[in-house]
Amino acid sequence: MSRSWRRDLAVGVVLLAIAVAVPLLFKTRYIVTQATLFFIWAIVVTQWNLVLGVGGIFSLAQMALFACGAYTAAMLGYYLAVPLWLGIPLGGGVTVLLSLLIGLACLRLRGPYVALLTLAIAQVIFIYIINDTDCFTNPPSGCMPLFGGVRGVTRFGELGFRELFGTRFYVANYYLTLLLLVLAVLFSIVIVRGPMGLAFQALRDNPGYAVSRGISRFKYQLWLFGLSAFFTGLAGAVYAANFRAIGPDVFSLTLLLFLLSMIVVGGLGTIWGPLLGAALLMLADEGMKELSDYRNIGLGAILAAFVILLPRGLVGALAGLRRGRLRRPGP
Amino acid sequence: MAGPLLAIESISAGYLGRDVLRELSLEIDEGALVAIIGPNGHGKTTLLRAISGLLPLHGGRIALAGADIHRRRPDEIVAAGVVHVPQGDLLFPDMTVLENLQMGAYLPAAATKMGERLDEVFALLPKLAERRGQIASTLSGGERRMVGVGRGLMTGGRLLMLDEPSLGLAPIVIDQIYDVIVRLKASGRTILLVEESVARVVDKADRIHLLDNGRFVWQGAGSELMSRPEILATYLGG
Amino acid sequence: MREVIVQIVASGLTIGAMYAVSTIGLSLVYGSLGMLNMAHGAILTFGGYIAYYIGTTLGLPPLLGGLAAVAVGALLGLAVYIVAAQPLLRSRSFETSIFIATIGVGTVLENVMLKLFGAYPLPQPLAVGGDLEIGGVHIPYQNILILAVSLLLMAAVALLLKRTRIGRAVRATAQNREAAQLMGVRVGTVYALVLALSGALAAISGIMISSLTTLSPTMGADPMLKAFIICVVAGLGNIYGAVVSALLLGLLEAIAQYVVGVRFGFATLLVLVIVVLIWRPYGLFGHRQVVRL
Repeated sequence: MSRSWRRDLAVGVVLLAIAVAVPLLFKTRYIVTQATLFFIWAIVVTQWNLVLGVGGIFSLAQMALFACGAYTAAMLGYYLAVPLWLGIPLGGGVTVLLSLLIGLACLRLRGPYVALLTLAIAQVIFIYIINDTDCFTNPPSGCMPLFGGVRGVTRFGELGFRELFGTRFYVANYYLTLLLLVLAVLFSIVIVRGPMGLAFQALRDNPGYAVSRGISRFKYQLWLFGLSAFFTGLAGAVYAANFRAIGPDVFSLTLLLFLLSMIVVGGLGTIWGPLLGAALLMLADEGMKELSDYRNIGLGAILAAFVILLPRGLVGALAGLRRGRLRRPGP
Repeated sequence: MAGPLLAIESISAGYLGRDVLRELSLEIDEGALVAIIGPNGHGKTTLLRAISGLLPLHGGRIALAGADIHRRRPDEIVAAGVVHVPQGDLLFPDMTVLENLQMGAYLPAAATKMGERLDEVFALLPKLAERRGQIASTLSGGERRMVGVGRGLMTGGRLLMLDEPSLGLAPIVIDQIYDVIVRLKASGRTILLVEESVARVVDKADRIHLLDNGRFVWQGAGSELMSRPEILATYLGG
Repeated sequence: MREVIVQIVASGLTIGAMYAVSTIGLSLVYGSLGMLNMAHGAILTFGGYIAYYIGTTLGLPPLLGGLAAVAVGALLGLAVYIVAAQPLLRSRSFETSIFIATIGVGTVLENVMLKLFGAYPLPQPLAVGGDLEIGGVHIPYQNILILAVSLLLMAAVALLLKRTRIGRAVRATAQNREAAQLMGVRVGTVYALVLALSGALAAISGIMISSLTTLSPTMGADPMLKAFIICVVAGLGNIYGAVVSALLLGLLEAIAQYVVGVRFGFATLLVLVIVVLIWRPYGLFGHRQVVRL
């Protein structure tokens, strides 16, 4: 057990060192801001990976939770002038509440039903937001529906980095997001390697035995769903703070697909898999900017190919190879 | 015909990496009735599933009339002539008795004989004729067993395997089932029978094999077994 | 008032019948394989585009387009079996993996259509104009045609499943796969057949749906989601239940469109589904993964 902890720690420290060094080495704003976006997606997918891969909950509501955190922080700032420093953690909190509601509704169902239900919930929220044309308030900039409608919510405050750091304010955003990612990954490690991870493993491999030992699938799943929602909501709020805007485009199915692909490519259920997948896919996306026509075709093909041919993802396959070499030849 | 109808050579098979059957060997001659007895959970059902192809082998080979069948698909093994009447019946719950029997004669070779085989099965098991239009999930335990056996008979085949035909049935019903089995043997069928109840097979089987912990620990005629009370006590609780 | 009711019922039944055709395939696939085919919507759309390509672009008789669409739909269904279902059948997390894999396949198909035909909505050539007048109410001939074709198809599928040898094999495989294997059924063939049939039915329903609205690359998502909703509400694998639920849904949709307007109709539907699933986790009629007829 301690061997895996040490390995995880080693990998983490190395990656963290690289991450910390990046803004010092690369002075271009674009690289730093793209890396910040990468961190945000990395937080989202590590949490989604916990839900999907460890908890076995086939939830497609991840981006709805992300949006919840973002919209909460943004709306608190816009309507009630709540400073973002408070709004962001509040966003996380509200997202936990939403996730518990969704969890209570869904977790009695099996696999594909959960997927359909969570997708339906996410779609309902999306449809409501974009179809709500009643003006909640009427500022000079135009009619403002409660959730911002199609245009979204802007002008909800700032983190104050511009005043503090001037033109290099985006570096502060970078480090803040990096800090959150570190916390999210630590959380992920604790879950996967800790007692909860073992409990879920037992539930997967030998459900009868697990239940007889008093492991309640529902309770564990609800806990995991709620806890991972916190970081997801935080990520959403930080996303909104970063871009100083949030709109319904985060509900896009293409984006959901993009993030799902990160997990599948990297390795479902592993700790570092989602990070690897996020890095690879964002790099690929950058590289394929010219061929934007084929982007979605490529994405769909990658998703299908990996699930069929390399279901454990890159990290999972590597781990399998290592274990294979150590295992004695059996009958 | 030279050689046994079914030849099992040193097979190993199991679930989740654990082997339930360990290097098991068995031969069944044509026309014989062979019974496998032994404590539950020690591999009797696993053996039949390995033969019918539902469970892959980890080692060894199985041959029917000299031809290997252990690497074939279950449907190919049935086509070769191995009929498996599984434990728990595994009927098609939303089909009628008649439809279940018709499914038994799914293979083209059996389908051409559908009419005459149905007549034979109804003659052997008249209860089925009465209830031919009834949905299978509404049948009683004994009736379900009869449908299962009847279904197997519809397939024909060279080797008939029955997994615990007496399981969960009242003695009267078991009598009826065994009546059918005895008549099948008399007509020359080769039968492999898995049973928990020793008493039922002791006077009917040509050969009895005792399966314990994945291996055969004893084999012989029924009369020999009755004269060895210590075996009965050790493995079968008297 | 009477005219409005007749209009709604006619419209609702037509929509419901169309949905029923695409839902039967989906239900069969889930009942036999235990998979939710997320490429269903894309195959549906593809059927519509093939009919367009043959009928409009190539200028051949539209009926030929219809036949070609059916063939292509069946081939696409078969392709899903060979490429995705067959390799994944032996994996432990089959349900989840095949869900994701078919999302990938569906995305590829959808974007291929986008690339080939563009995003601009196109008219479906396989359509008839004019309407029938009954007591002051105008019912479009197209609706009647769709209703007739749908009923014919449903009857054909029912006959196939109930009376033919292969149909019995499909039902047997769905009710107990191992037992079916022990009867000599080659389940791989059954799966391929079911997916091909589902693809063909999807293609036809794609033609029908696009004949009432228009053809666009993303048009399949909505009907697919509705087909899933119908299946789930009826209980996955329950064919008769699915047909009945589809007709009910069609009527509901027609009523909702008249009352609430198109915008919130779909959202209301989804909320309804959410409520049903929470109340009855296995659907209104279903409690087993079995193909019932």
